[in-house]
Amino acid sequence: MQLFPCPFCGPRDETEFHYGGDAGNARPDGAEVPIESWTNYLYLRSNPKGTAREIWVHMSCGEFFVMERDTVTHKVLSSTALGGEHAA
Amino acid sequence: MRDLAEKWSVPPDWRNATIEVPGLKIGAVAGLHQRLVSGDLAAWAEASGFDGPAVGAFGLAEGMRYSVRLARDLLLAVSTTPFGMATGWFSEGFAVTEISAGLQVFEVEGPALDAFIARGTTLDPAGPPSASATLSFAGIGAIVYRRQRSLRIHVDRGLAAYLWTWMETVAANIATGSRN
Repeated sequence: MQLFPCPFCGPRDETEFHYGGDAGNARPDGAEVPIESWTNYLYLRSNPKGTAREIWVHMSCGEFFVMERDTVTHKVLSSTALGGEHAA
Repeated sequence: MRDLAEKWSVPPDWRNATIEVPGLKIGAVAGLHQRLVSGDLAAWAEASGFDGPAVGAFGLAEGMRYSVRLARDLLLAVSTTPFGMATGWFSEGFAVTEISAGLQVFEVEGPALDAFIARGTTLDPAGPPSASATLSFAGIGAIVYRRQRSLRIHVDRGLAAYLWTWMETVAANIATGSRN
């Protein structure tokens, strides 16, 4: 069992969280988006070895946040709430 | 035609349902008025007169009416008397929703309370305060806090029968000294 830090609630059991994908994988915008951009957005994942920035949601309180963690050691480096006034 | 209702146990009559074993007493709490409040919680506190901070996980709720924090912009207001306030959207920036019939409330007390909590969640009640009282308890989402010397648990009404059977099993295990 691993503890993840929710920016609002603090450390909670990993089973209370849900993975939301790579951070920064923004949906392409506009009518003339090249097919390569859609392919990158839909299918390609960075899958880094080491530090990764990911979107997670704490399902208990509904907080969406960015978690930075090491994919090798599983050490959590930071968690930051999404949204202007709540961003830490 | 198969009667699939047979697959589920009949929910107890919550008005007089109790589980009592050495060290633990569990019952349902009836008659509480509950409302969800979302949006600008400071504006709601001012408009409603609910004073005091909203309690988080394992926080101590005091008074005839109190509030429990569920999320950054959501809380549960609980009162033993009817709210003197309408439901709906308020121009001050918050919304109030009636949920008294949607959440079943249980109260657990006794010297074996810590053993009961340890079986329900991995969150340490003696650990650092956690802002939200919503947590995974017995494998389901629940609102958990303290009231006087008891533990109060609010769950969706549809999950109340499951939680009751879980509590019956856990109480029996605690009574027999089982580690399960």
